[in-house]
Formats: sequence, structure tokens, C-alpha cells
Amino acid sequence: MKQQNFIYLGLGIVATILFYVLRVSAYECIYAVPGFSDQFYNAGLYDMIPLITIAVPWATAGIYYYAINSVRFDRWYHWLLVGGISTMLTIIIGYAVNSSVFSDMGLSYGAESLSFELANAVWAVVMFIVASFSMRWWSSNCRHTPIPQ
Amino acid sequence: MRLFLFAIGGTGSRVLKSLIMLSAAGVRPVDENGHPVPNVEIVPVIIDPHKSNEDLKRTEALLNAYRSLRERLYGNAVNADGFFATRFVTLREIMSDSTIQLNDTFIFNLGAVEREKFRDFIGYDTMNEANQALTSLLFADYQLENKMNIGFVGSPNIGSVALNEIKDSDEFKAFANVFNQGDRIFFISSIFGGTGAAGFPIMVKNIRRAGDLDINNRDALRRAPIGGLTVLPYFNIEHSEDTRISKADFVVKTQSALYYYKDTMTGANDANVNAIFYVGDQEVSKPYTYDPGEHGQRNRAHLVEMVGALAPLKFAGLPLQRLSSPDGFPLPTTAYEFALAKDERDINFLTLRAATRRHVYDPLVRFHLLFLYLRTGFREQVGQGYTEDAPKIKSDFLNSQFYRTLTDDFMRAYVDWLVEMHDNNRSVSLFSLGETDMNRAITAVATRKSLLGRKNVDNNVFKAEMNRLSRDASYSEHTVEYKLLDLFNRAATRIINDRYEAIN
Repeated sequence: MKQQNFIYLGLGIVATILFYVLRVSAYECIYAVPGFSDQFYNAGLYDMIPLITIAVPWATAGIYYYAINSVRFDRWYHWLLVGGISTMLTIIIGYAVNSSVFSDMGLSYGAESLSFELANAVWAVVMFIVASFSMRWWSSNCRHTPIPQ
Repeated sequence: MRLFLFAIGGTGSRVLKSLIMLSAAGVRPVDENGHPVPNVEIVPVIIDPHKSNEDLKRTEALLNAYRSLRERLYGNAVNADGFFATRFVTLREIMSDSTIQLNDTFIFNLGAVEREKFRDFIGYDTMNEANQALTSLLFADYQLENKMNIGFVGSPNIGSVALNEIKDSDEFKAFANVFNQGDRIFFISSIFGGTGAAGFPIMVKNIRRAGDLDINNRDALRRAPIGGLTVLPYFNIEHSEDTRISKADFVVKTQSALYYYKDTMTGANDANVNAIFYVGDQEVSKPYTYDPGEHGQRNRAHLVEMVGALAPLKFAGLPLQRLSSPDGFPLPTTAYEFALAKDERDINFLTLRAATRRHVYDPLVRFHLLFLYLRTGFREQVGQGYTEDAPKIKSDFLNSQFYRTLTDDFMRAYVDWLVEMHDNNRSVSLFSLGETDMNRAITAVATRKSLLGRKNVDNNVFKAEMNRLSRDASYSEHTVEYKLLDLFNRAATRIINDRYEAIN
């Protein structure tokens, strides 16, 4: 079982790296608007936003499984709540970064940025699931959350 | 090593019941350094013609429950650690001689004795006049008329005649067949009644004179280390116009029997019994209902019985050189007594002396916490955490035979045992009865202080600890029953050390 757990962790890391490598295609398939997408690319946000979309879900999953790690917070709906918070954080931080970068460039893409980040929720959720199933196996109290091993 | 444990009479059954409770908690035979003695298997044999005795029936039911639970936990393994660690087996279970027909029971079959009045048993009516006159001198009329299926009603002179039959029984032959060099024999009996007071010396006599009997392993039996728990008066009975059993007679009977024992078994140079444990209490117990036997005799459990139950465990752990000479012959009797640290009426763990406390505190606390956990927390936790690790504990486990026997039968008897000891005098209050809060469950022992008040112990603390232990261990090769109790045992050990004040 322990070997299997490391395989899950390895697969999660590979999936995350693949997401980062294929980030532009990944984002264009969920949200692509002429003009906005070009500026997004030129501003280097296709490098920055995927990093946020990886870091926030992995960090929140890590906090859930190893910092909170509580028998009082080990049910599937607790995990779902943390997943929701993780996704919200990803959206908020992503939007703040988008807005800041475009603002520095003197551009105004408020509505597009918000739409992009809402679409990015899909990847934030996927990353949270990937992070959860990569790292949960060693948690003493939450390793069976959201579903039993 | 097998310890053949003969529990004779009502007190024998009650002490045996306490031994089962202690063993369920994981109290095991220990050596002089307090380390568990490996490879000990106990063969309890209850000798009591009074089959309708409620104490006997309760003990037998408990033994059967213990046996089935242990089998499910550890199979036939002799060595185990944790709850139900000590293996109890019947004579039938260990005998290989198929020519002897025995029931698979812990009760010695005294068929001939149980069926008859004493006068018929000794053939009074067929005696000549002179013998009848002599018999009438030795036995009162009510003793001659005594139907022995209610026991010997405090008359050792009946028992000493009737129980002499034992040596010819199939059970005794089976016992002789399975007895091996290295095994030990222990007797539990009271000295102030009828059955126990008579049965103990008769059994010892027959074993030591095995050379004269037509049985196997005669030499091993003659040289066997033999120990005995002789329970001195410790309970009171209600006043009755019927004087067959009277508290006033207890001391006189005890004195007479002690002299007899000294002359035949336990004297300074006598090697018939190698270790004798005396326990009694001059503190007057709450009076038991007067019942010579007709109404079932159901007496409250008592501190003396729990303390007495430690005697066979100590005996099993005594080094052989304390019982036998280097050439294998039994050594003269050594006598042991028991004392409390404080002569108080309310007994808790702090009232016990350090050696006793070290022996029983951790196992009993673990078992009590298990009782509370199963009662208040486990059901809700099925399907979560450690229960989801292989082998999974699913909700149908709650309806399994094992779980029902453990919680409905055994734990109920455990509570009865605690309540009865608590309601007696001395009052044993090891745990706060009715208290489901684990922080306050152990009398006189609180949880440790922490920065924010005191450390907490509850079902979630157990769940977290069992989750951690289960993550780091593999129970794939074990049953769910073993997994649950072993995890709990290990979790409780750690929680007791970390969260409760240390008293040992």
C-alpha cells in the first residue's frame, strides 16, 4: 500500500507538471477572447496564473491533510468546504494579479479578467483534486477523505 | 505451561469470575519482576454439585463468552497481548484420549453426587445398627437428609465424603492424562463453607497419592507444583431462623479447617501444597440473602474475590525453584497474604499497594475505557478513519456475534461486577460508575494539567490515536475483531501514559 501511495503522489506531480507545461493550451480551451488573450500572453500571465492555480490548491490541500488533520474535520463535506475555499482563493488571488498587471500596463480588462478567473475555477478544482489524491495517504486522520482508500 | 485451576464451591466460582474479568482486561500472570509470563494456558475446572447456583451459572456463561471472544481474536494461539490475552480451555479441548467421554464444559460432572440425598449416597439405610449410630454421631439429621444438588450447605463433613468420588471420575482421569511435567495446579476455595473447605484437601490428597490410583502421569502429578487460594471469612449473611449456615460459625469452621490443613497440607514441613494464599476481610460485608442453596445463591461480587483472583496469576509466575527442589520434588509450603496500602472502606487504585497497582491499573483502565468507547463512541465512528483501513470495519460488524457477545453479554457482566463490588462493603470504586466522561472515569485519577486547564480524553482522542496507529501498521492479515481491540489497546496505553496523571 505504501508503494502504491508513492505512485499516486508521483502521478499527481506528473499531472501538475503537465498542466504547467501545457498551460497555454489548457487555458485557451476554457477561455479565449481575441485581444484579451494576446495581452494576457504578452503580460506573462500565462506563466503566473497557472502557478497560482497550482500553488493555492496544493497548499490548501496540504493544510487540510497535515495541519488541520482533525477527526472533527474528516468528512467528505469538510473536504468539499476546503476545496471550495481553495477555489475561491485561487479566483481571488488570480483576479487580483490579473487586475494589477493590466492596471500597470494601463489596460482595462476587468470583465474579461473576472470571466477568465471564473473559468479558471475548473482548473483550480482539478488541481485541488489532484493535490488531494496525491498527498492524502499519509494523513493520520483525513486519509480516507473524501472517499475511503 | 498449563495451569489447572480448580474452582471449588460458590466462592471458587466467584473468584473465577473476577479472574475472567481481570483476564479480559489483559491482566496476565507475571513473574517476580512484573513481566508477563509467556506460554501460560489456564484450564479452569469448576467443582460444585450445586448446579443451579447463580454464581456458578454466571461464571460459566462468562467463561464461555470469554472463550468465544478470545478464539475470534487470537485463534488457538497461547500467547497474546492485550484484551483477553490469557487462553482458557476446557479439559475436553486439550485431551487427546478419545476413550474418555467428556462434555465440552468448564464444569466438573459430579453426576452421582448431585442426584442423591447424602443418606442415600452413603447407603445409610443399608448399614447395620452400629454403623448407623456412628454415622448419626458424625452427621446431623439435616445433613443426612441434605439433597446434594444444592451443595453441602456449609457442611465440610458431607463434602469430604461425597467429593472423594472425584478420583474415580472421567474428568479426573482426563485431567491426569493431559497433565504434563511443567504444568501447575491451583485450587480456589473458601475455608468457612462446605464444598470448598472439603474439596481442596481431598483433591490435593488424591493428586499427591496419584501413585495409588489407576491413572496416567502419576509421577508428574505427585511432583506437581500445587498452589491454593484459601478464602477466609469475608462476607456476612442475613439472620435466619434456619441455622444450617450461620455467620457465627464461620470463624469456628475456619479455625478447625486451618488446623486440619496445617496437619495435612500446609504445615511447615509439609510439601503437599507448595504455595498457599490467604485472603479474607474482617470488615463486615453487606449481608447477603440467606440461601443455603434452594434459591440459586447469587451473591454480590466482593473486593476479596478480585484480590483472590490475583493469586493464581502470581502462582503461575512464581519461579519453579520456589516450588520444587532441583531434583523435581515439591518444596514445603510458602504462605502469602494480601494487604491494602490503606485500611479504608472505599477502595480505589490508590488504596492498593504499589505492586498490585502496577499489575492491574493499566489493563483495567484500558478495559474500562474500551467499555466507555464501545458504549458511547464506536458506533458513530464506523465508516470513518481507522475503520476504513483494511480489514474494514463495516456497519454489519455491529450486528456480528462477536460484537454482540462483547457488548451485550460480556460488558453487561462487567458492569454488574463493578456495581456489585461498589455496592458491597468494602466498596470498590475503581471507576466512577455511570460516568461516561472519560476525563472523570477513573476514581481519584485526573487527567494531566496542560497550559489550558487539563488534557482532554474523549472518543475523538481515541479515534485520532487509532487513526495514527492504523496508518502505521498493517492489519491485513488479521480479523476486524483483532484490529479493533488491538488498536484500542495500543491507543489506550499511549493515552493513559500521556493524558492521565501517573500513579504507578
